[in-house]
Amino acid sequence: MTDTRKTNGSNNPIPGFIKGMAVTMKALLTKPPTVNYPLEKETPVARARGVIALDPEACTVCMLCARECPDWCIYIEGHKEEVPPAKEGGRVRTRATLDRFDIDYALCMYCGICVEVCPFDALFWSPEYEYSEYDVSEMLHPMERLTDWLKTVPDPPPLES
Amino acid sequence: MTQQLDPVAAMHLSDAAVSVELETPDMTLNIGPQHPSTHGVLRLVARVDGERVESVEPVIGYMHRGYEKISEVRTFAQITALINRIDWVSGFANEIPFIVGVERLMDIEVPERAQYIRLILTEMTRISSHLLFMSSYPLELGAATPLMYALREREHVMDIIEGLTGGRFHPNFNRVGGVKPAAGGGSTQKKVSMDLQAGFIAATDAAMDKVLSVCDELDTLVTGNEFFQARTVGVGVIPAEKAILYGVSGPNLRASGVNFDLRKHEQVLPYDQFEFDIPVGANGDCYDRYLVRLAEIRQSVRIIKQAVSSIPSGPLQAKVPRVLKVPRGQTYVRAENPKGEMGYFIVSEGGRIPYRLKIRSASFSNLSILPWLLEDQLVPDLVAIMGSLDFVLGDVDR
Repeated sequence: MTDTRKTNGSNNPIPGFIKGMAVTMKALLTKPPTVNYPLEKETPVARARGVIALDPEACTVCMLCARECPDWCIYIEGHKEEVPPAKEGGRVRTRATLDRFDIDYALCMYCGICVEVCPFDALFWSPEYEYSEYDVSEMLHPMERLTDWLKTVPDPPPLES
Repeated sequence: MTQQLDPVAAMHLSDAAVSVELETPDMTLNIGPQHPSTHGVLRLVARVDGERVESVEPVIGYMHRGYEKISEVRTFAQITALINRIDWVSGFANEIPFIVGVERLMDIEVPERAQYIRLILTEMTRISSHLLFMSSYPLELGAATPLMYALREREHVMDIIEGLTGGRFHPNFNRVGGVKPAAGGGSTQKKVSMDLQAGFIAATDAAMDKVLSVCDELDTLVTGNEFFQARTVGVGVIPAEKAILYGVSGPNLRASGVNFDLRKHEQVLPYDQFEFDIPVGANGDCYDRYLVRLAEIRQSVRIIKQAVSSIPSGPLQAKVPRVLKVPRGQTYVRAENPKGEMGYFIVSEGGRIPYRLKIRSASFSNLSILPWLLEDQLVPDLVAIMGSLDFVLGDVDR
């Protein structure tokens, strides 16, 4: 490691100051890297963990996500429904139906464990981030709102070959 | 009726008056818990005599979140998400020692590709953590411009971490047996692979060049700046033996001239396959601590450039059971965090939940030297010394 202390051998602050000013001058002439947020928007990356979308058709009320959630911020309720047999003389089957699927984003810490453990592909990450609220209770997204997020789920990015 | 005073006696009288006046009672100065130079909520109870600090007592615990206790009621997979938040500027590096400890308990061999991805992300975290230091430390000394430049290039590194893992600060990308293999896809559906996305290697190379260019900019802006040198050279000197006694680790220890880096000493990640130097300081002052970090950024860039060009192909995760049960046993794994030595002592009773998780964080030990270091320093130097130690209060209090 080179020790650059006291490079000019004097305590004269002017040379270092001028060198610094040259760097600042260069930055003054380049385009700013910032985005003027409410007016312009950056597109988040496809994998960004913004909000969780739900596909209620795929959910089988297995409760794996609610159990694995470190914050316990997923609330699920369901009931069993009897499905008439498809063929004459068949057995009456029961099917789990989703009544309630809420995620409390005030508690969620965006770890993505629920998306990962879901064995039926009912949960997806969407990179949407503009859902702040004035009231903390509004952060609890009910099933309909989670289903709406499904439209914003992007295709996965192509992989490095 | 006035009495004529003997001039000699009068002189002594005035001397006495002056010395009595100078014997001021020490003032107790509370710095923090809400102070911008404390990197969080640290309170320093300083007894000051004028500008001189007589003693300092750090009061910690304002950020205590009880990670060790909550880990006793969370599964191993959930803890990975939690421990991202210990030292929030180096989230990914926090996961490494824990996950490697679990893997050692379970006797799992990690695929080489996963190890390389871990290594690349750890070094990126180191760069982003050190660039944050490069921006905040001159700011504490009164230079506001380096903040903008260092944070601008740090954003490129953060973009790459986010593009790969989905999270800028809290990647939560490590899984027992490798890195996150898939997301948004279950066993019955097509999985969405979390492998390196297209353009990752090119983007990384470009970002590393930008990091190197900001290092050169910082050299002209900060390193060679006489004002900066006047504030830091010879200030807050930690001799090597004191640093070892207090358990100081990481760049702070190396600035004192001790060549000790866990990347070379522990086989947590395959660092032995890459060429890099360990920058070591000579004097242990604030300036050396700054220089060591700046040199470490350059070394990390060197490691990442080697790693992305030689990344092997293969699976992202080893075969692990679906329900993660860790066999009975205990282990301690430590790794080089950007702040210093980070270690996890894991005790497992054979279930899905650890029996005990003891976290050894670098910032806590680095902060413990403060009372000794700040004694007899000046109040303006207090900020310079505190900033140069580069601790994060989340890492101190856990």
